Amino acid sequence: MTIINFKSRAEAMRDELVARRRDFHMHPELGFEEFRSSGIIAEELRNLGLQVQTGVGQTGVVALLEGGQVGPTILVRADMDALPLTEANQVEYASQTPGKMHACGHDGHMTIGLGVAKLLSEQRDKIAGRIKFVFQPAEEGLGGALAMISAGVLDNPRPDVVLGLHLWSELPIGTIGIADGAIMSGSSIFRLIVNGKGGHAAMPYTTIDPVACAGQLITALHTIVGRKMDAMAGAVVLSVTGVRTSSEAFNAIPQQVEIRGTFRTFNAYTSEMLEQHIRAVSESVCASVGCTVDIMIKHLTIPVVNDPEVTDHVRGVFSRFVDVNCLDDSFRTMASEDIAYMLDEVPGTFFFVGAGNKARGFEYGHHHPRFDFDEDALPLGVALMSALVADYVLLD
Amino acid sequence: MTTIDFRGKAEAMRDELVARRRDFHMHPELAFEEVRTAGIVAQELSALGLEVQAGVGKTGVVGMLEGDKDGPTVLVRADMDALPILEENQTSYASQTPGKMHACGHDGHTAIALGVAKLLSQHRDKIAGRIKFVFQPAEEIVGGAKAMIADGVLADPRPDVTLGLHLWNSLPLGMLGVGDGPVMAGSSVFTLKITGKGGHAASPHQGVDPVVCAAQIITAFQTIVSRNNDPLDGLVISVTWMHTGTAFNIIPQDVELRGTMRFFKLEVRALLERRMQEIAEGIASAMGCTAEIQIEHNVLPVVNNPEVTGRVRDLFRGYVGDAGLNTAERTMGAEDVGLFMDDIPGTYFFLGAAVPNREAYYGHHHPKFDFDENALPLGVALLSAAVADYVLPD
Repeated sequence: MTIINFKSRAEAMRDELVARRRDFHMHPELGFEEFRSSGIIAEELRNLGLQVQTGVGQTGVVALLEGGQVGPTILVRADMDALPLTEANQVEYASQTPGKMHACGHDGHMTIGLGVAKLLSEQRDKIAGRIKFVFQPAEEGLGGALAMISAGVLDNPRPDVVLGLHLWSELPIGTIGIADGAIMSGSSIFRLIVNGKGGHAAMPYTTIDPVACAGQLITALHTIVGRKMDAMAGAVVLSVTGVRTSSEAFNAIPQQVEIRGTFRTFNAYTSEMLEQHIRAVSESVCASVGCTVDIMIKHLTIPVVNDPEVTDHVRGVFSRFVDVNCLDDSFRTMASEDIAYMLDEVPGTFFFVGAGNKARGFEYGHHHPRFDFDEDALPLGVALMSALVADYVLLD
Repeated sequence: MTTIDFRGKAEAMRDELVARRRDFHMHPELAFEEVRTAGIVAQELSALGLEVQAGVGKTGVVGMLEGDKDGPTVLVRADMDALPILEENQTSYASQTPGKMHACGHDGHTAIALGVAKLLSQHRDKIAGRIKFVFQPAEEIVGGAKAMIADGVLADPRPDVTLGLHLWNSLPLGMLGVGDGPVMAGSSVFTLKITGKGGHAASPHQGVDPVVCAAQIITAFQTIVSRNNDPLDGLVISVTWMHTGTAFNIIPQDVELRGTMRFFKLEVRALLERRMQEIAEGIASAMGCTAEIQIEHNVLPVVNNPEVTGRVRDLFRGYVGDAGLNTAERTMGAEDVGLFMDDIPGTYFFLGAAVPNREAYYGHHHPKFDFDENALPLGVALLSAAVADYVLPD
């Protein structure tokens, strides 16, 4: 066990961390377009003396911090992409690109990842093992984790443990969410095309009205959660988020209605059951009124599952830094994260660093145009992650 | 009664009528944008020697055929606009403009009325009275008739009779629908905005989902037809438009629905107004949403004057026999010709035009709508004869 005071070392980096985060915040880049961000990251990591590989999974960056002695390989993952939103905050560090915004905290994740690299590279001679810093592109539904895994990020060397964090505005600053098992849901999207027979709106009997059918279908889809799913099998969410009729006229019954949405579950079995019910309900409701339905379902991510052993170990480390009352060991969310694919292959843990602060105005949720977070979470994140990695690889 | 052989004369114009109709069909124009169509109409009417007024009700055209003798004024009305529909027919004369289509037969109406003008202008010397040819824009969005009336189409001179026809795919070629009283429905449209509280699709409990609410309102609207309306009174409610959504993982803030209602009686219209509001606001309130409904009354029912209609029916019997006359044909389709006929007695008849030997029947407004072009010369003959019955005395 090491005796380094990570908390005060991270605190000493505060100004640098805040400046770095604000720079990323002002220059948001969408998934697989993180050219500026990954350029800054690669340069910084080279300056710290790490072996840097760029273009891993398109715009991803991997840096290896080799210790002076042999030991385990720890993967530390941060994501880099912003969202297609126009920022509504009036702060001096607001996004300078209309239509793009860091509204999920990935600007903070990159900053913390770099901070950890800097702090630990100063202790290189005492490291037994190696740290693989992974800066991932395109976390927001575009497949960045899979792209990096395909490019070999989990090989040569294969990590023994995967660690990651998410700044989380639903939790107040100071609280850490760290639970065992499935903590974030798997996410799938569906697209249903209800095909009727268009015609004159005054003569519905000569048509097959896909709009009336869509009304019944949306209602029926929402009975699946309440009537078909085992209430004990884990949380389930189904949301219809988009509907569009295929024609524009008041007096023409359209040929088609497109219904789009998402569903989320915490395990593959529940997801499979839900998918089967969506298919059966869609087909039978449509058939009952003479419509046909084309069903497209795409699985975006699997649930994020924290390894109980690693997680328990992490909780032990954290209890030395924060009041145990501030460790929330039951926090879970229906949001999704593609670090799930790395954690599916390598045991690890993904934890939430509370970053909300109502008193200071940080009260908007992730993906909201007014999202922002308490920057006190930056040094805290660096301290927690550094201590955690050190616990695996640093000799005291 | 005149001895002119309208049938033979109209038949002789067949190639011209078909070519004209196909040209209009290939170049459809939406409501109040009928610039090319109106230009061709105005040019053709001028060439026939009619007094032409363009720009009546924006893109409408009026052509006056003055007879040499005095007599009644007959208004002949045709509509010109197409629909915002992508044509799916593979014919040589299919629409050349993606997203616009003559899917209701107005291309045929315009071609027929030009045919009538041509045929009757050849008998000008014998005409006692005058014929006011009215080429109306924007029938489909409803507003064309109103715009033309505002520009004075029913004055100077005021017509004594209004006549018009609609090519009709619910009847086979050779059948005519000539009924008394209300034959086409009145039409109102609605816009309904349902407002909830948007948020992340993974956390529906933190928002109020307006999509679920909209689905229930769509379903409940149909109970007005089955539970509130007198089964002997016709009523149709169609929700035709529903748009919402930005990203797959965001529950939208609001949903907008649009649609149309059809009825034959104004009491039914009042019932509709009351029940749609109660259902929308009641369900929205139950789901924690708010609903704002706006109902706009567009068109009155088309009511055929029994005297004029009886006279026209007797005349048509000579063309199609008793077997070809359907006096019961009514439709929930709406037509703003009702606005002309509310003021001037008249008749509006259906000209059977269903394409025989087609695998499937395609109704009006369908992307595969088409009609039997044999109806074009028949329409010219019938409408010319009906007008002549009023203004060609010998």
